[in-house]
Amino acid sequence: MNRNTLRRARHVTETESIVTAEQRRGWGRPAPTVTRKRTPVEVVRRATITTLIVMPLLVLVVWTAAPFFVTVVASLQTRGEVFANPGILPASPSFDAYVQVFQSPTFWSSLGNSVIVGAGTTVLTIAIAVPTAYAFARFNFRGRGFLLLFTLLPRLVPNLALMVPLYRLAVETGAIDKLFTLILVYTGMTLPLAVFLLVGFYQKIPVDVEEAASVDGANLWQRLRFIVMPLSVPALITIGVLAFREAWNEFTLVLVLMTSASNRTLPFELYTQQGLEGIPNYPTQAALALLTVIPFVIVYMRIERYVVQGITAGSGK
Amino acid sequence: MSASSAVTDEPTIEIGPGRTTRSVRSSRRGRPPKRSAVSDSTAIGRNKWIPYLFSAPSIIMVSLILAYPVIWGIVQSFFRRELGGATEFVGVQNYVEMFSDPSFWDALGKTGIFVFGCLALTLVLGLVFAFALNRALGALRFLRAITIAPYIVSSVAAAVMFRILFNGDFGLINRVLMFFGLDGLPWLSDPTLAMVVVIFAQTWSDLPLVILLLLAGLQAIDKSYLEAALVDGASPFQRARHITIPLLSPQIAISMIWTSYSTLTGLGVVLALTGGGPLRGTQILPIEMYQTAFISFQQNQALAIGTFILVLNALLTLIYLRVSRGYGVED
Repeated sequence: MNRNTLRRARHVTETESIVTAEQRRGWGRPAPTVTRKRTPVEVVRRATITTLIVMPLLVLVVWTAAPFFVTVVASLQTRGEVFANPGILPASPSFDAYVQVFQSPTFWSSLGNSVIVGAGTTVLTIAIAVPTAYAFARFNFRGRGFLLLFTLLPRLVPNLALMVPLYRLAVETGAIDKLFTLILVYTGMTLPLAVFLLVGFYQKIPVDVEEAASVDGANLWQRLRFIVMPLSVPALITIGVLAFREAWNEFTLVLVLMTSASNRTLPFELYTQQGLEGIPNYPTQAALALLTVIPFVIVYMRIERYVVQGITAGSGK
Repeated sequence: MSASSAVTDEPTIEIGPGRTTRSVRSSRRGRPPKRSAVSDSTAIGRNKWIPYLFSAPSIIMVSLILAYPVIWGIVQSFFRRELGGATEFVGVQNYVEMFSDPSFWDALGKTGIFVFGCLALTLVLGLVFAFALNRALGALRFLRAITIAPYIVSSVAAAVMFRILFNGDFGLINRVLMFFGLDGLPWLSDPTLAMVVVIFAQTWSDLPLVILLLLAGLQAIDKSYLEAALVDGASPFQRARHITIPLLSPQIAISMIWTSYSTLTGLGVVLALTGGGPLRGTQILPIEMYQTAFISFQQNQALAIGTFILVLNALLTLIYLRVSRGYGVED
């Protein structure tokens, strides 16, 4: 690149100096503002750059939206129409598939289980992570570094490696097929990340605020309740979203830990719906799949920021 | 390994005792700096038992749910339990049998294709999309919201979506192919094509994280490097090759580590989409492990496969770290 660079650089400085000299000569008049006509090369280059940016963005939107789109379309058709309809959009949209899903009793029980497990995991995660993170962020105690590492490192454990051990241990301790087991397991899996996020957050809150409160006679509980908790609401929302999503979407562990049909969560329910009939009932599957996403969609734009934080924090393993 | 960034405000943690503004100020006043992260005038952070009491629930939970089961699983892979019988130590027999089983090698090969396919697709799409998003400042928030949509979809729901998208009879992909005068393909009933579909589905699920990571890395790059290169007349390709990519190499490494972790140990999407079929076409190691454990009920043998996956994952992570370090300092 050397010789070309030099030549181009010299060219640039020369042209610039000519322009300024002309402008300085000026004869008292302002420099003429001429909108230079773009040369064909420049037009082509600009068009290429725009295409290079816009095209991938279009592909990105199509890539992300296409699976959602086809699922919505399939869910608005009847079983036969899915195959018969030659078009891309539904010929006569109907909500039959949704009605069918709502009429199935297992849908309501699995929805209820998902809500219980999701809420339980969220509450338990926050209840355990807050004091832990506060201890790691504010106290200096023997073994702090080791214990922090011990809490964070298990983040690396994949669900896959837990399937068989948790199943066997649950069978031996009688914890199998109990919703509370699921809450415990999902809480344990979210904790490392939750503690990681919160410790970082608490370390950013100045100690001075708490000291001032302490001077005014606030005890530890009062400082936690009235200073630390209100200040850390954004971090708590992020953790709540993470924990709820984990509990709501997790599939491989619920698959082995819950054995009776009445204890399934929504992903498990969706999975069992697939193999029941000879020809899959695509509209109801599609409707059920979309219904599992609904709680997120409702609050999507509001929680988007927290989801982003949660996702990227999740990679800091 | 955490990248701080403009888009995400990712927190960082000081493992050592953190020094707060307060202690810095006191040391400036001439007093010796305290080792404590906290106050010198009050009792905050001084109590001897409170920190242990506070951190105990997390430590117990993490040990109980994550650490103990994994170690238990690794230990149990050297044992065997016959149906209804007692557990007996068998040494490496589970591993010997695993390595002499042709279906293990077949699944390992499928895993290789699956992981490599996902990595390649994720990296290419992730880089292209992140570069484009980095330039799309005006619409960034809207586009980012779209980008992360797959993150809220469970693996089973993603599988349902892709089964409809790639359906051989009415799937949109085949409709588009036929629109261009091509023949529709039997995506999910052909072993080779099914592998393509599961790679796409898995990548679709994993891509949001990678895009966000790379985007954060791109936004953290000091613009003056690129401007200097521009003045020197470097072409866009040269700038990407010699400046952006090397500066982005930590994020690329993390993305690769995360993607291979997620695909090597990812069971949900493939299990719900194809279940390993058709004709073992998508029989990756996690599926092999699941079936050994819960269909054939040879759980200790399954634990040997699980341990093998853990070791493989650790090896891959080490390789990426080494390669990325070599690449990062080159320029």
